[in-house]
Amino acid sequence: MSTARELPVVGPALDRVDGPAKTAGQARYPSDFDAPGQAHGALVQSTIAAGRITGIDTSAAEAAPGVLAVFTHLNVPPLPRGPMTGLGVSPPAPLRDDRILHHGQHVALVVAETREQATAAARLVRVGYASVEPVLDLDDPRATTVDDPWGLDSERGDVEAGLAASAVRVEATYTTPDNTNNPLGLFSTLAAWDGDRLTVHDATQWPSMVRETLAHVFGVPETSVRVLSPYLGGGFGAGLRAWPHVILAVHAARELRRPVKLVLTRPQMFTSVGHRPKGVQHVRLGASADGRLLAIEHRGRSLLAAEDDDYEPFAAGSAVAYACPNVLTRDQQVRANVPAPVSMRAPAHAQGGFALESAMDELAQALELDPLELRLRNVADVHPALGLPWTSNALRECYAVGAERFGWSRRPARPRSQRDGHWLVGQAMAGVSYPWYQAPSLARATVTADGHAVVGGSGMDIGTGTYTVLTQLSARLLGLPPERVRLELGDSDLPKAPQAGGSGLTGALGSAVHDACTKLLDAFLDLVRDDPASPLRGSAPEDVLAADGGIRRRDDADRSETYDAILARHGRRELSADGSSTPARPAELGMAPAGAFGAHFVEVKVDEDLGLVRVSRLTTVIDGGRILNEKTARSQIIGGAIGGIGMALFEDTITDPVSGRIANATFGDYLVPVHADIPAMDVTFVGEPDRASPLGTKGVGEVGLVGVAAAIANAVHHATGIRVRSLPITLDALL
Amino acid sequence: MTFTPEVPPAAPDSHPGVAGTTTAFTVNGTPRSVAADTRVTLLDALRDLLALTGTKKGCDQGACGACTVHVDGRRVLACLTLLAQCEGREVTTIEGLSRDGRPHPMQEAFVRHDGFQCGYCTPGQIMSAVALLREDRARTDKDIREFMSGNLCRCAAYPNIVAAIRDVAQRGGVDADL
Ligand code: FES
Ligand code: FES
Repeated sequence: MSTARELPVVGPALDRVDGPAKTAGQARYPSDFDAPGQAHGALVQSTIAAGRITGIDTSAAEAAPGVLAVFTHLNVPPLPRGPMTGLGVSPPAPLRDDRILHHGQHVALVVAETREQATAAARLVRVGYASVEPVLDLDDPRATTVDDPWGLDSERGDVEAGLAASAVRVEATYTTPDNTNNPLGLFSTLAAWDGDRLTVHDATQWPSMVRETLAHVFGVPETSVRVLSPYLGGGFGAGLRAWPHVILAVHAARELRRPVKLVLTRPQMFTSVGHRPKGVQHVRLGASADGRLLAIEHRGRSLLAAEDDDYEPFAAGSAVAYACPNVLTRDQQVRANVPAPVSMRAPAHAQGGFALESAMDELAQALELDPLELRLRNVADVHPALGLPWTSNALRECYAVGAERFGWSRRPARPRSQRDGHWLVGQAMAGVSYPWYQAPSLARATVTADGHAVVGGSGMDIGTGTYTVLTQLSARLLGLPPERVRLELGDSDLPKAPQAGGSGLTGALGSAVHDACTKLLDAFLDLVRDDPASPLRGSAPEDVLAADGGIRRRDDADRSETYDAILARHGRRELSADGSSTPARPAELGMAPAGAFGAHFVEVKVDEDLGLVRVSRLTTVIDGGRILNEKTARSQIIGGAIGGIGMALFEDTITDPVSGRIANATFGDYLVPVHADIPAMDVTFVGEPDRASPLGTKGVGEVGLVGVAAAIANAVHHATGIRVRSLPITLDALL
Repeated sequence: MTFTPEVPPAAPDSHPGVAGTTTAFTVNGTPRSVAADTRVTLLDALRDLLALTGTKKGCDQGACGACTVHVDGRRVLACLTLLAQCEGREVTTIEGLSRDGRPHPMQEAFVRHDGFQCGYCTPGQIMSAVALLREDRARTDKDIREFMSGNLCRCAAYPNIVAAIRDVAQRGGVDADL
């Protein structure tokens, strides 16, 4: 049969199959759905960060026009917390009791006939509080801490001995602020019960998880819950949990016996659906005089919600980033009265990469060695912890190609040595990786009597291009033109697939689709095994390939048959096959599964008088294994890198240190990159198909962001001679 | 549950205490008369009352551009415009951009250049881009970037959006027939 191994390393740049719908305003996002008879919800959120509710007066709200109900902790029965998910615990149930654990916690849900009525009535809910001084700071002595929260702390060799033996040492502390995911689409939940059957349009990156959670919380079988998320206005991690507002909307719909739609406001998006938590990192590096790393110590601490968990191991990536005999990584979380953090694009690596790659630049400077040369001397050609060869690793090629394209050799060594009028100019780089991740997945492929294929799984396309790349893959594997393949995604009724997150969906669902397509061809061969009318009778899978809308013998192009002909002769309306994929295991492979690698080369200009920083050039070279579609993959890298520009220069969720209120919870005040901030970008893919899966992909959703902030901070240093170790880099640091 | 958007009656008297008003205007060439609460924005009217959900809400505060539509040919933020202000005006939304059943050249260029990822900002970007060409502000990439900066794209498809607009501008602007 046709296999993924016959696919090109960089796949054709097919236009997105969902492009016409998206550009015509016809793609329907969760908030675009309505249900007959729906009511509208509006949330009331706490105005203190810690303490208790002493009383809630809902009478004015209840009397307001159109109001159907006001839900508070006084009338909502204790709801069970959602189950453990593949990414950790579920958030605590909403409206559990009178305790306030963070500013902006939901304290009531008002449901009314119209959106305007619900919003107006929400302002009439009066809440009395007894507040206590909140814990808001990493260094608050009252805070409880969690050591080694994920069991990822690591140690090899002896870091102190390594440092002692080093000719050159650097040591520095790096801080990163809270960032807010802020997908452009407001998160929305539309919940409708029909008896015990529940249908939910939810802004989720993980329909199957939301289904499991709602079944668990509301005590109904999973089979009676359907969660739909065919399109989502971004998420960047915010859609990886079944948040309290989702549970509330479903609860209200059940109580009121009518559909309830709840759309968060932009300010509520800052406190209700996670954020990248602020943190502080301490790095010590030691190297021999010729630039060989002898010691890496990386300690990270980040803020965590009072009663929730978050995956944010800042330091863990440093254990495998370079070939170094002595490594120590330590992570700690600090519980505080803050909204729950969540993975935000490249969780932990966004922050960890900033610290490590900044420190590497500082080491290069201390060694008086070219920063690229320092990286090249320390490339981990085998997995540094496992000692196993990588399933693929083209990091050296990333460096070489990037340096060539960027013109690295023309870069002067000395900082503050170039200018363009009143702009100081600097160039720098960072080397990065994003770890391999894969979850088990199922998929189904069906060919129908009209010779079309329907392929799908419950995973969703968050904008990465899943619809498109899986259309291309299925078309290729089934020998059909892409126009005759329809992808079904974002529906929990489809075979269970993992979340759109962790750069793992293409690999997981793609491999399951690969398996389903392979089995579907086998099923067709089974059907014609003893069929005297079939030119394919008696063929084994290895004898045939899929082409021209059907199957043909490899040894005789004239012995072929289309799917529709086979189905028609056998009186079948369709033929289906289920496929599955499981993550690779290093022990069985004898190799270490590799994530994507990359190198960023950045040029910045800094206004000498104003301290204004502009990114003027960015060259990124990525080893993402097999690239299924050059166009959509390039967009992923561009989007990630611009996320890195935002992290480096703009994004900063500011929490008032006294009240715990977020002071800039709007798009007017929380700055994100806009058109005018972004230069032309140069993205290139290198490398080979990865050997951990038949598909050979590695996932490119996150690697584009990792290290960009470091490359920019390093370039700012090169331009100005000023080292900034605290993000975002704002002009006050440069004056 | 069916997902056909319902057009509620929205009679003014269904909102006691708040004045209602009837607004007569043109949407994508079709005359419309909508009775609604005076608090209803053009954005909510399009989405909730006229079932035109192509126009998106990203902030409801005039800060993201996702709700960009044309009123009398000029780009405006529908979330900062009350429905009642649209009396007698002509509103064009993303749904009204195609010509004779064919996509507008800008829509085609966005697809060709992959000028979006999640697609949520896209209707607003495209409406802004079409107006940009009419305003003759797409002469250079720098101009395009400057005058498109009111349209946020959190997926950050910016370079591809600029490429799409440049492409249409070079092929003859709003009159391009690609
Ligand atoms: S929704 Fe109107 S500008 Fe954001
Ligand atoms: S494409 Fe997602 S916000 Fe622009």
